[in-house]
Amino acid sequence: MKRLKWGKEKCIGCQLCAQVCSAMKEGEYIPSRARLDIESYYDRGALKYEASYCILCGICAKNCPVEAITIDEYITVDDDKCIACGICAEKCPKHIIKIRDEAAKICDTCKGDPTCVKACPQNALTFA
Amino acid sequence: MYGYQNKVLRINLTDESATVEPLRMDFAEKYVGSKGLAIRYLYEELVPGIDPLSADNKLLFTTGPLTGTPVPCSGKLSIAAKSPATGTINDCSIGGHAALKIKYAGYDMIIFEGKLQKPGYVVITDEQVEFIDGAEVWGIGSHDAETFLSDKHGREYVVLSIGPAGENLVPLSCINSDYYRQAGRGGIGAVMGSKNMKAVLIKGTGGVKVPDIVNTTNRILDILHEDTLQEDNTFVFDLGTTAFLEACNDGGILPVNNFSDTTDEEWTQYNGDVLMEYRDGKRGCGSCGLGCGNFLKINDAVCEGPEYESISVAGPNAGIRDPYHIVKFNEVCDNMGVDTISTGDTIIWAMEMTEKGIYDFGIRFGDAEKMLEYVELIARQEGIGIELSKGTKRLSEKYGGTDFAMQVKGLEYPQYEPRGSWGMSLAYAVSDRGACHMRAYAPNEEVFAASIDPYTAAGKGQMVYDLGVFNAIKFSLCICDFWGTISYEIMAEVLTLVTGRTWTEDEMPVIGERVLNIARAFNQREGFNRKDDTMPKRLAKDALKNGPAAGQKIPEEAFEDMLNQYYEVMGWDKNGMMPESLIATL
Repeated sequence: MKRLKWGKEKCIGCQLCAQVCSAMKEGEYIPSRARLDIESYYDRGALKYEASYCILCGICAKNCPVEAITIDEYITVDDDKCIACGICAEKCPKHIIKIRDEAAKICDTCKGDPTCVKACPQNALTFA
Repeated sequence: MYGYQNKVLRINLTDESATVEPLRMDFAEKYVGSKGLAIRYLYEELVPGIDPLSADNKLLFTTGPLTGTPVPCSGKLSIAAKSPATGTINDCSIGGHAALKIKYAGYDMIIFEGKLQKPGYVVITDEQVEFIDGAEVWGIGSHDAETFLSDKHGREYVVLSIGPAGENLVPLSCINSDYYRQAGRGGIGAVMGSKNMKAVLIKGTGGVKVPDIVNTTNRILDILHEDTLQEDNTFVFDLGTTAFLEACNDGGILPVNNFSDTTDEEWTQYNGDVLMEYRDGKRGCGSCGLGCGNFLKINDAVCEGPEYESISVAGPNAGIRDPYHIVKFNEVCDNMGVDTISTGDTIIWAMEMTEKGIYDFGIRFGDAEKMLEYVELIARQEGIGIELSKGTKRLSEKYGGTDFAMQVKGLEYPQYEPRGSWGMSLAYAVSDRGACHMRAYAPNEEVFAASIDPYTAAGKGQMVYDLGVFNAIKFSLCICDFWGTISYEIMAEVLTLVTGRTWTEDEMPVIGERVLNIARAFNQREGFNRKDDTMPKRLAKDALKNGPAAGQKIPEEAFEDMLNQYYEVMGWDKNGMMPESLIATL
């Protein structure tokens, strides 16, 4: 199964990944609703990073009380089954699942062809 | 039109109120965004003749339709006001993430009017605006303020702040954001300081809508990979603007000892290869792609860059060849909130004044430690710093040394020696805010590409016009300088994709020329004309002694010839004035 991978040594913190993710999933450029959150910032004379993205660990699917989440080559959320209970978001070790519009919003790696990887200008994000 | 938020946030600092109004779409159609749009608004709203440091001045933060989209290198913000250094229009371009946060907060532009009753700062959280007492941050360094405010309000806020220099109304002061990004020139920090506003914090959680977002995004990504990420642009990732050091030294335009000569044999002591050994990370602006930011640490000195300008002014132009000093100078200038170019130029002018025995400012070429000390004195308005903070124009009018006061209209020279690139003397002279290298970058044609003879006046009016028009539209799209290969065709294509209105390739230079004209109209209204489009006398009197441009000087007649050519191409008269008929079209 191919997964997103990220290396901070190449990341320039441009957030093109979050912009294009939200474009494909939310229909506008709205990084606050992206399904990954990768950024760098300065703090007290140091360059720091924060990176939240789905690593396909499967914890969300295992904990879903209504079996709305399935993982094949990528994650699928059945919105009809999802009760927006928030357990998946709570258990997600990367804290990247959001509950909105009464459903869990989880990265599906654009069905195995992630746009964020295509957008990454420095190959900090890869899919392998 | 899509791309825009169609909203201007107008903040009245005097009565601590905020209103939202529609964006003037008639202006947006004619000037697109960012630089052009900001200048058009200021032309409309500022009363001619106002004191730039009074509550009558306005401070504009302006984005463009591309801001917040993945169009590469579109993360720049225009910060504009009437300049206290020059009295001209002054629009600065700052990177980082501020532009994106403003757009995501729902605004195309923020206008700050009036003046806070006492020092404070403004926090913008989407539609909410708060005015907060600034006692805890007033008087401290810009970096220190950013750290304090990030801790207090949360890292999701972008911070724009001034240092002590801005608070003290120093005309060399800048605005910082993301620690190491600056709206550097023309004393823009003093305008913020004159409003008692130490900082602005912005958090935006909204989005930007465009037509046909899937196809628009895919096409933008094709442009990113096919055009932006080509070698002609990606060199900035490896070396940033330190790459210019070798090119400028080889081309005979790296200034030495306050522009008394060019070319430094010891340039490898502080070049990009040396500086990059201290690199501790890479960072770009929002929506970047190229990632020019080199985060460096040499012992206790930290900066992002250092940019070519800072290397030159704290290096060979100051008679200093020490990488640590360059980085420390950059850091101290940032934290104190002063522009490295104008502050550096003022100190090196003082060095030459002392060396020549005209006036003893107590500092000579090579005095690295004193140079750092003087930056703090300037920012804090103490001792000799009180005088030096006035900049080279006002100082030379008082103490002498006007021939080698390297400035136009009160804005100090960037670090490209015009005797090795004659067109640069014209570019500095006619730039809308005094000597600026970002308005028409002549060395690109005259030295690096060698597409035109650098030591002649012939063709330079047209060359500076062409370069100026190009940058004027590019910066009005809020595109970064470092996307050097962008064409009018690509500009029109991305604008069309994002706004849904059809923009044509031919329309781009028309808008660019209009931006140059509105800036000139503003300055003309303030009384500027040919008498102010000047060149320091040194360039006509003294021939260079070293390097590939040895023997070169720029005769006054050649300079006047270039000015005449430029005015003719612009459709201005011999006095550099634009006719009323032209102003009416703006």
